Amino acid sequence: MSEIQENGLGAVETKARLLDLKSLDSPKAMKLYRRFDGIIILILFMFLILGVQIQFTLTAGDWDYWIDWRDRRWWPLVAPFSLLLFIAPFTYGIWARVRLPIMATAVTLLLCLVSWLSRYLNFHEFTHFPLSFVFPSTYIGLGILLDCALAISRSLLVSSLVGGGLFGALVYPINWSFMAPYKVPVEFNGMLMSVADLMGYQYIRTTTPEYLRIIEESTLRTFGGSVTPLTAVFSALCGMVIYMIFLWVGSWINGLDKYTKRIV
Amino acid sequence: MALENTQPVALDAGNDSKLAGHFKRNRFAYTFSAIIIAVGAALRIYLDTMGFTVGTDYYSDEFQKYWMPVLYGELIILGSFTIGLSTYLWMTRETDASSISKELELSRYWKLLSIFTVMAVWAGCIASNAVESDAAWHQVTIRDTDFTPTHIIIFYFALPALTAMLIPAFIWTHTRIPAFMNKISLPFLAVVCGILMIMPNYGFNEWGHTFFYAEELFAAPIHWGFVFLGWSLFFLIPLAMQIIGQMARLIAETTTEDLGQSA
Repeated sequence: MSEIQENGLGAVETKARLLDLKSLDSPKAMKLYRRFDGIIILILFMFLILGVQIQFTLTAGDWDYWIDWRDRRWWPLVAPFSLLLFIAPFTYGIWARVRLPIMATAVTLLLCLVSWLSRYLNFHEFTHFPLSFVFPSTYIGLGILLDCALAISRSLLVSSLVGGGLFGALVYPINWSFMAPYKVPVEFNGMLMSVADLMGYQYIRTTTPEYLRIIEESTLRTFGGSVTPLTAVFSALCGMVIYMIFLWVGSWINGLDKYTKRIV
Repeated sequence: MALENTQPVALDAGNDSKLAGHFKRNRFAYTFSAIIIAVGAALRIYLDTMGFTVGTDYYSDEFQKYWMPVLYGELIILGSFTIGLSTYLWMTRETDASSISKELELSRYWKLLSIFTVMAVWAGCIASNAVESDAAWHQVTIRDTDFTPTHIIIFYFALPALTAMLIPAFIWTHTRIPAFMNKISLPFLAVVCGILMIMPNYGFNEWGHTFFYAEELFAAPIHWGFVFLGWSLFFLIPLAMQIIGQMARLIAETTTEDLGQSA
C-alpha cells in the first residue's frame, strides 16, 4: 500500500485499487468479470460489423462487389486505404488500454463474415447475380500481418511502417488464388478480354458506371503488367500514411473518455 | 433509497440450471433481440416479395398502395416510440444519486449492457441485410426518387430504429446510473449524435443525387457523409472504458465485501 501511496494516489483510490486486486482472487468476482467480458466483446464486435460495413461499402464497395471491377489500379489502392482508416483508431484504443494486437484481424474477419452473408442475401438472393460474380475479396491475411507487426515490434510507429505498408502492398497477391481463374483471356465477338470482363458484359448492371470508362483510364489494357506492382508500391505508401494519421485520430478520440457538465 | 429488483446481479438464480439461469438473467436482451430480429425479418421478406414487383416506380398506383403506407407506418411508430419513451424516462428520472445502492447501481450497468446488446444485434442486422441491399438495388434499377423500397427500409426504419434505441438509452443511462448523472458522457454523446446525424445527411445524399439519377457509384463522394458519421463508432472504445472502469470497481466492491472491510 505504501508504494501506491508514494505514487501520489489518495487513500480512497488506493483502497479501491487494492480491492480491485483482491477481487481477482474471488471466484464470484471472476465469474462476473468473465461474463462481463463476453458481453462487451459481443457488443463491440457487432457494432464493428456495422461500422466496417458502412465504411467499406461506401468507399471501396464497388471494387469489391463485382469480379470485373477488381482491377490492377484502383482496387488495390482504395480497399486497403478504406480498411486501414477504420482499423487504426480501434487498434490504438485496444493497444493503449489492454495491449491486445487483435483489431486488424478482428475487423477484417468480421468484414469477411458480413460481406459473405450480405452478398448472398442482397446480390444473389435479392438481385439474382451469381455468387461467383459478386463474392467478396479477402483481407484477413493482411489484418494478421498488421497485427503481427504490432505484436512483434510493440511499436505503433514500426507497425505503421511495416504493417501498414504490407497491408497496402499485398492486396493483389493475397487475393490472387481467388481471382486467377477470372483473369484467363478469352475471345468474344473478335475482342480479347478476361473471363471477368465477359461476365461483366453478360450480367447487365443498368445503373453501374461503365467499367472501362471509370476504371481503366488512358492506358492500353493488359492482363497484369507493370501497373500491378507499381500500384502495390503506391498503395503501401498510402497504407503507411493513412494508418499513421488515423492512429493519431485514435489517440485523440481515446483521450475523450471524459464527462462534461450538463447543459440543461 | 431507490428500490428495484437487483436479480440480474445475482450469480445464479435460485435452483435454476445453468442454462435456465442464463436465459433468466438475460431475458431482456433475448426478448427484445428476438422482437427486433422478427421485425427485421418481416421487412426483409416484404422487400424480397414486393420490391421488384410493385416497388420500381414511385409514381405508380401500386407503389402508393404497397410501399407508402409502410413508410408512414415506420415514421409514426419510430417517432412515437422515441418521443414517448424518452419523455417517460426523463419524467421518471432519479433525482438523488446517493440513494442508489451499489448493488442496484451494478444491476443497472448489467441492464445497460442488455440494452446495448439489443442495439448491437440490430446493428448486425443492418450490416448484413440493409446496407448492401441498397447497393444491389440501385445497380440494377433506374433511380426515380428517394422513395424506393430499399430506402424506405434502410433510411426510414433500419438506421432511425438504431437512433430510436440510442436516444432513450442515453437518457436512461444519464438519469439512472450515478456515474453518469448530472453530467454528460462525451463518447456516449458522440455515438448518439453521429448515428442521429446520419438522418439529416439523407438530405445531402438526395441533393447530390439530383445531379445524376441514372448512375449509382456506391463509393461516390455524396455518400461519404454517411462514412464520416459512421466514424462516431470510434467513440465506442472510450465509452466502453468508462463503463468497464465503473463496473469492474462495483463488482469488486459488491463481491468482496469482507476484503473491502479489511483493506
